[in-house]
Amino acid sequence: MRPRWRKVFSDLVDNKARTLLVVLSIAVGVFAIGVIVGAYKIIEADMGKSYAANNPANIEIRMSSFDDVFLSTLRKVDGVKQAEARRVFGVRIRPLGETQWTSINIITMQSFEENEINLLVPVSGATVPLKNEILLEQDILDEFDVSSGDTIEFQLSDETIKTIRVVGIVQDSSTDAIDFLSPPLGYISPKTLRFFKQPEDSFNRLYATVETGQDDEDHIKSVLAALKDKIEKNDYFAWRTFHSKTHEHPLESTVNAVLGILMALGILIMFLSSSLIANTLSALLNQHLRHIGVMKLLGGRDEIIFRMYLVLLLAFGLLSLLIAVPAGGQGAYALAKYVGDKMGFSLLGYRIVPLALYIQIAVGMLVPLVAGFVPVIKGSKVTVQKALSGDLARESGEQAEKGAERESRTERFQLKLTRLLVDRGIRIPRPLLISLRNTFRQRNRLILTLFTLTMGGAIFVSVFNVRVSLRNYVQVVGNYFLADVTIGFAKPYRLNEVEQFALTDPRVASVEGWAFASAEILDVDGSNADNMDILAPPAESKLVSPLLVEGRWIQKTDVKKIAISESIYHTYPDLKAGDKILIKINGREEYWEVVGIFKFVGMEGTIAYAPYEYISREQNMANRSSSYRILSNNHDRSHQDILAKDIDLYFRENGFQVTDTTPGLSMMDDASESLDILIAFLLIMAMLTATVGSMGLAGTMSMNVLERTREIGIMRAIGATDFEIIRMVLVEGLLIGIISFGLSIILAIPFTYLLSTIVSYATFETPIAVVFTPTGYFIWLGLVVILSVLASVIPARNAARLTIREVLAYE
Amino acid sequence: MTQENEKPLIELNKVVKNYTTEAGVFPALKGIDLHIQRGEFLGIIGKSGAGKSTLLNMFTGVDQITSGEVIIHANGKSVTLHEMSENELALWRGRTMGVIYQSFQLLPMLTLVQNVMMPMDMSGLYHPRKSRERALELLEMVELSEHAHKLPTYISGGQQQRVAIARALANDPPLLVADEPTGSLDSVTADHIFQLFENLVESGRTVVMVTHDKGLMPRFSRHVEIVDGELIAPSPSGRRLGWGQEGIK
Repeated sequence: MRPRWRKVFSDLVDNKARTLLVVLSIAVGVFAIGVIVGAYKIIEADMGKSYAANNPANIEIRMSSFDDVFLSTLRKVDGVKQAEARRVFGVRIRPLGETQWTSINIITMQSFEENEINLLVPVSGATVPLKNEILLEQDILDEFDVSSGDTIEFQLSDETIKTIRVVGIVQDSSTDAIDFLSPPLGYISPKTLRFFKQPEDSFNRLYATVETGQDDEDHIKSVLAALKDKIEKNDYFAWRTFHSKTHEHPLESTVNAVLGILMALGILIMFLSSSLIANTLSALLNQHLRHIGVMKLLGGRDEIIFRMYLVLLLAFGLLSLLIAVPAGGQGAYALAKYVGDKMGFSLLGYRIVPLALYIQIAVGMLVPLVAGFVPVIKGSKVTVQKALSGDLARESGEQAEKGAERESRTERFQLKLTRLLVDRGIRIPRPLLISLRNTFRQRNRLILTLFTLTMGGAIFVSVFNVRVSLRNYVQVVGNYFLADVTIGFAKPYRLNEVEQFALTDPRVASVEGWAFASAEILDVDGSNADNMDILAPPAESKLVSPLLVEGRWIQKTDVKKIAISESIYHTYPDLKAGDKILIKINGREEYWEVVGIFKFVGMEGTIAYAPYEYISREQNMANRSSSYRILSNNHDRSHQDILAKDIDLYFRENGFQVTDTTPGLSMMDDASESLDILIAFLLIMAMLTATVGSMGLAGTMSMNVLERTREIGIMRAIGATDFEIIRMVLVEGLLIGIISFGLSIILAIPFTYLLSTIVSYATFETPIAVVFTPTGYFIWLGLVVILSVLASVIPARNAARLTIREVLAYE
Repeated sequence: MTQENEKPLIELNKVVKNYTTEAGVFPALKGIDLHIQRGEFLGIIGKSGAGKSTLLNMFTGVDQITSGEVIIHANGKSVTLHEMSENELALWRGRTMGVIYQSFQLLPMLTLVQNVMMPMDMSGLYHPRKSRERALELLEMVELSEHAHKLPTYISGGQQQRVAIARALANDPPLLVADEPTGSLDSVTADHIFQLFENLVESGRTVVMVTHDKGLMPRFSRHVEIVDGELIAPSPSGRRLGWGQEGIK
């Protein structure tokens, strides 16, 4: 090997700690990019394919009971390719011997063998349940452990508790794909309906696929409209409709938006790691200045030196790729699988994503080149005199080229400050003064270290703030669901009757009966633009505390007036309070006035509020309701759980046909849990930025100490103890940590606003109020202190361990 | 004798070097005129801070002059150093002169043979295989061939300086420049190193050595003394006078 390449190789392997620091700092960024790009591409490809593989329904209509005959009628509607009917009902199940119930929805398939829509993928056990047997969707495993062959208990609305055998676990990535908060699912054959006391040969959901244009939203909507029209004309009632494309998972855009956020953070990490690389490389070049001088003395030209260090940079990049590519590939698949499991779709197997690989290679090779370019150019262009002057001037006792250097501004400021303090009788210990001075000695290095650590800290703190902001928004959304217990009945009951029963429980403060209606929002040409659920609480309800964007809330006297959620802006971007929109309700096209627009979760679709007083009258259900909200004096979750259980039992015992009772906060907790996935992603990214930041600090401190080895030797020779040396370095590291923390506090403010805006648009489709929490600040402060101590103590101890002779002989 | 051989190897004409310091302009060299002939063993003697290393840096091209000129007539060419770029200087220096420092300046990560090969690698004058053979021969010459594959830290200071001399000879330059090469060595080792230089002069090379040790004066073919940036007197003991046409002014 030629001596020049031998030198490059030695530079790479001789100082393993430094090489590792540079390689890891590149690898962290490349890894993050690889994970995100890889996961993005895997999810993009597999989410749609896996979703389409099960022939998902393009149309789902939740409607009043219908039979086979009407199903045949619906199958003949123009554009319908396949149509299947299901009976869906809710029960509660639990493993034998457990006390805690879990609500599930049971889907009755017409025929498992002939099923063509929303296909089930077997996970374990049988795929066709016989009479009085059940299949469970794998999501149930999040609630409790169950496997094929186990027997579980279920409870019907009339209090009956029975047992049923689980014969298989399946995956259903199509049904309820739009709603990842939906309860787990179970599947039975029609022969088992009687066992659940459900009517036979009667369905309440229609699933259909379209003949053509399976990925054409407008076409799907037109077929849906035709189906709905047919349903209404035949005096059936469709209360909720959904539509989706065949090759696009309904949550794909949400997942992509979240991955987009992660990508932005990944790029930021890359950016931070490049500043770390720039820092390390300029220190490396600084340490190599004498070598460069010697090489130039021996005939080395700028381009030779430049080429040598360029190869060193490329070697750093290559080594980082050796770590980051396999780790990134695994990470990408793990992330995609995690998302897939949560969203209910399966992946098509582990693979390296070519795009992720190319980007990783490009980034892994380019980042060190870009980050190291300036230091390398500077290093290769240095004159022999400058490169050797440090040594030569000292050794020959002559002055360096520019003579004695002037004190820097920082040094002058420190001197003035010290004098000022001394004049006032305040004496700063000399070692502390040295620490302070040392901190600001390598200004460029300090700036880069502070930049990396500050950015890391700001992102870390922002993630905590965004987490609280998201949870806070969920609480705000909870203002639409203030009831402590929601109870649903299989049929409407009179308001005063339910109220009378409920109030016998002293914990119940008030009861409200709500009505519901389903409507279509129409374009001016009469075509379907969107579906809308109308919730109808009493106008004076205390159980809704809306967050109005404009206009007013509903009033008792309102007729054909609604307050509508912000997602109406998708259809009517310029809509204002007081405007009228065309809707189709109860089979009639009518203009209703929008009296107010309120904030809600965009993902949940468009919802509207109208007064119970008007809607119940229109539905011939005045003074009656099948859904009640109960308000208690105590609003905590455990109290709600107990009250729900007691109310449920009490109404059943008194002959009411209860379908479900839900504690008010359970929905909020579910929503918060789903946000936790996002928060977990963000925290992983925050930890990666913290890692890069701490590596920056560790690198800087070790370089600082290394460059001062001779100085430390001199200090020890004149009496400084090991403890004093270590303390000096520690104070320096802590000082850098604390300064960066101060800067992070400030920078975290705009970061929090930016991140929460991006995240809230991705998840809620609306900006949310930003909340700041001290948690992130405290954790980061603790981390920075620990990191600073660790980053300083190791090089300081190493320096203190050297003998004076070794240190003074150090070159 | 060719025309080139009639010219001195090194011409320093009215060389001034000033350093700018906080206290003002510090003149390190005050108009030096010095001609060095081929085959000379010239000692530049002076106390610490007198300007001897600065003077050396002027004709190695390591430092820039403030005014005056430095001309080197070697390898069939005459070059004015301050008219060359850093890059041209690096290549020219690598091929024309070997520089030896008190602190040896060996690259610590390379073995002795690799250190000696380095100038040949940089200048491209020798094929890599040939350069290895030559490096081993040079190490043999300085009696270090058995240590050829050791790192510099595993040999003594005197041995390191011998490696530095072998490295300085790598490209077979006509001129060797040494800055206090025996300054950090014990007297026996220093004498051994000095003998090496004397042998090189006898074999026809020109050697310029900077030292503060006046005891070495008799061993130079000529010496000049520098005090406060000025050459003060010619050496009476010069075997081959080489003051140029005007000598020292």
